[in-house]
Amino acid sequence: MYKAFATLHTLIRGAVLAFVTAPCALLQAAPPAVDQSKNEIAIVMSQEPQWLNTVKATDQVSFIVLDHISEGLMTYDINNELVGGVAVRWELTDDKATFWLRKDARWSDGKPVTAQDFVFAWQQVANPANAAEYAFLMRSFTNGEAIISGDMPPESLGVEALDEHTLVAHLTSPIAYFLELVTFISFRPVREDFFRAQGQRYAADADKMLSNGPFILTVWVHGASLRMEKNPHYWNSSAIRLDAINVPYITEDPNARFNLFMDNKIVMATGLDKSATSMAMQKRQKLKSFRDGSTFFIEFNHRPGRATGNLNLRRAMQSVFDADALTYKVIGLPGNIPAVSLFPEWLEGNSQRLVEDFPPPAVVLDPAQGRRYLELAKQELGVEEIPPLSLLLSDTPSSVKQAEYFQDVMMRTLGLEIRLDRQIFKQRLAKMSAGEFDLVAAGWAPDYIDTMTFADLFTSWNLNNRGRYKSKSYDQLVRQAQSTTDKYLRNQAFGKLQSLIFEDVVILPQYERGYIYVQNKQIEGVRRTRVGGDPNYNYAWIEGN
Amino acid sequence: MNNYLPSPADFLPLTTRDSADRLERPSMSYWQDVWQRLQHNRRALTSLFIVVALLLFTTIGPLVWQADPAQQDLEQISQAPNLGLRALVVDDFPEVRELAAGPVSPAQRLPPEKLLAPANLRVLGTAHSEGVHLAWDQVPGASGYQLYRHELNPSGPDDLGLPLITLRGTSLSYRDRLGLQTIEYYYSVAALSQRRQSPNYRTLAVTVGQAIRLSEASYRGLLASADSSYIGSHVQLEIHPLGTDYLGRDMLARLMWGARTSLFIGIVAPLIYVAFGLMYGGLAGYSGGHTDNFLMRFADFVIALPFLLFMILFKIAFGLGPGESGIGPMLIALVLLSWPATARLVRGQVLQIREEPYIAAARLMGASAPYLVLRHMLPNLMSVLLVSLTFAIPTAIFTEAFLSFIGMGVVPPTPSWGSMCNDGIRTMLSHPHELVFPALFISVTVLAFNLLGDGLRDAMDARMRGDS
Repeated sequence: MYKAFATLHTLIRGAVLAFVTAPCALLQAAPPAVDQSKNEIAIVMSQEPQWLNTVKATDQVSFIVLDHISEGLMTYDINNELVGGVAVRWELTDDKATFWLRKDARWSDGKPVTAQDFVFAWQQVANPANAAEYAFLMRSFTNGEAIISGDMPPESLGVEALDEHTLVAHLTSPIAYFLELVTFISFRPVREDFFRAQGQRYAADADKMLSNGPFILTVWVHGASLRMEKNPHYWNSSAIRLDAINVPYITEDPNARFNLFMDNKIVMATGLDKSATSMAMQKRQKLKSFRDGSTFFIEFNHRPGRATGNLNLRRAMQSVFDADALTYKVIGLPGNIPAVSLFPEWLEGNSQRLVEDFPPPAVVLDPAQGRRYLELAKQELGVEEIPPLSLLLSDTPSSVKQAEYFQDVMMRTLGLEIRLDRQIFKQRLAKMSAGEFDLVAAGWAPDYIDTMTFADLFTSWNLNNRGRYKSKSYDQLVRQAQSTTDKYLRNQAFGKLQSLIFEDVVILPQYERGYIYVQNKQIEGVRRTRVGGDPNYNYAWIEGN
Repeated sequence: MNNYLPSPADFLPLTTRDSADRLERPSMSYWQDVWQRLQHNRRALTSLFIVVALLLFTTIGPLVWQADPAQQDLEQISQAPNLGLRALVVDDFPEVRELAAGPVSPAQRLPPEKLLAPANLRVLGTAHSEGVHLAWDQVPGASGYQLYRHELNPSGPDDLGLPLITLRGTSLSYRDRLGLQTIEYYYSVAALSQRRQSPNYRTLAVTVGQAIRLSEASYRGLLASADSSYIGSHVQLEIHPLGTDYLGRDMLARLMWGARTSLFIGIVAPLIYVAFGLMYGGLAGYSGGHTDNFLMRFADFVIALPFLLFMILFKIAFGLGPGESGIGPMLIALVLLSWPATARLVRGQVLQIREEPYIAAARLMGASAPYLVLRHMLPNLMSVLLVSLTFAIPTAIFTEAFLSFIGMGVVPPTPSWGSMCNDGIRTMLSHPHELVFPALFISVTVLAFNLLGDGLRDAMDARMRGDS
């Protein structure tokens, strides 16, 4: 009896103690933005990484983490120049790519990274059992298409390991951008024995993954924090100057991020909104801007049975949607520019930029014409009124604001009712994949530095084509561009694609995204990049260390 | 002690009178008394006026103030309260004269430290909220220019404000259209050498005037037609007595329409659940015994259910499609989960009244159950009910505001005070009026209903009868 009482007593005391001290402990645990003595920095992320499995990863946040903890055959150096990663030497011909792997590339458990690890990883990406969204990238290899559609076993993928350190990829068609392509997350190596041992839980926790990059993920408290430490087995570890990167905060709120920065808790606050920007100006912070290379647009659902499958309805929306007003007035943040095409302005053309070589068709804002298109659409659909259309969007304040503007424009010019379907990030992705939307506010960030990363988005075989737009001529043009390495022929195909996207109103371009950010003055060498995870701290250092 | 000397007259019999002195006051019913005492309670009376004013605000308000709460006015985003600004009518598609210099060969390029500050930074045309067209002279040896905009006077090359644009090549002008407000901006321009920026810069203070595009002005009926001869003239913009929100929508109209949502939930839900609670509690109390026991245990069970969780469950169970208003499920969730408090209160009262002697007397005289309930019980319950109703209303308003604030209530573009607070909190520091007004309305309403309930309780308490 007494004993029980004593136990209870201790329990209560323990609980009280824990209750009182836990917040203090948490406060102490949060590291400062820059810890000069430990040579560590702290950063913030907007979301929890969705998949840290390179086979299946699709989201930006996962890419940020994966770009620190894994490395592909090719990679980018501090100046964003393409250099060898695991590959030390390479040879690219029209039908074959050969990579010689460096002998000192190692996994975080000390075992060597071999050509077989790449072969296995790429087979997994193509394997329909994994339903990887980037499976379409494997179409570049012989038998890739058949494997993706389930007609051949994944082992028949046209990639082979000649020996431990020689990898040969057989290409179905010449790929001008193949070296850029293999920097992408889906082409990272995966070690078969480890992958099989973990089963379904592979990469679901920090201890269920292997790293071959500059850092190792050592702590992953789901939904709360992450920590990456320098990888001692990394072949180029002498070039890595930071000892650890902490992610003590995960928040989407730009004001919270800015406040964390001002409190010296994180080294960089990016994506400042209007009021945070204004506050930063009042505090005389140095503001920087960065355009991340992505394009944002409204995507239509082209599946049968959806009103948005009707071309005239889409044309009606196109004739009233003003991307300029959206970008400059509604969003009103510097760095963004109005988008005129699926292809952003930075893409290279023949001698100058692609948009200069092939100016995209311009939208003529004409509400009267829009209403005529709408009448046609109603006749074709055989309805008196177009039923309310649902617009799927993420629940961040800025996307809600943009959607409200879109809703108002459609109602006031066309009398179209738009219903907003606000969903959290994961749920929005799920609904996008399932096709549960009429319109979706989507965006596309480049996976590699080539126009093709945007162009093949709306091919009938791309799983990221969430609206299931299907057009023979579109597929044809993409195939054309994929069949050659000739710059002029490819750009010509891209120019035609651009016109086709406009004519068919596959999407309504909104804006090319830019960020306003503030950065700690002690941090140097942060790489901002359009492809992969941005920002990248692999080569960053603390001034004075 | 008492030096009164009785006189013989004192011992005479009194004269008989027909009537004695009568102390009389008009006979007052219970309700008249309550009203009288409520009138003496200043706070309660003020609250009553506020409540009536609010009801008028939301019912008659939109008839008087006919601004559309959903109409967006991109010319006046986040405008402070005003009585109608004057705006310059400008062309929709102004002719933009791009200035450019001759090409700079790589050999002529200079390192950033040697680049001078651009001379002659100037505004082309007028600076207005539809665009500020800046131009400057070429800097020898520069390969591009970086343009900034600041809200304060820059203090050095690291404090130039927002990086507006990086111009590569030979461009010497830029038209800024980015979210311009009618304030003074400090534009700075610095020359670039390759990617690096010169420490020398030139700053120009520009005061931006309000403008409106021709097509927009004619669409909104500010001009008779979209005739281009109106360009350059001034028009009076709509009055926004409480300012506009982040999409230029009139705050006053939104508050009025938002009040409909808030007060609808705030009044309808308590009315329904108080009525239900009355019947439920009345039945339990009147029946007593096992029925009472069973009914009240069920009420206890309902009290234990978590509201928010059920709110979410209802939303799913309703099969609400995307973008459909959550007001229906919210109402039902409120009604289904909030009645037990009233039921308990009523049951207690009924149990008490049931045992009163006058009930026994009425029974003896053969009163039927409905007569007992209607004549004796209900009137005696009325005060308790009214008080619980006035306290239930602010709770419901608050719940609605809270749920809309976390995005479970109304859907855009329908406003509600809660969702307006949620929108306003983003710009709390730069445009406080977007948060302050809806928050103020919620606070005042909730306070008014609470004080009114307080006053009613005091006025209706029979034990305080006669005190004033």
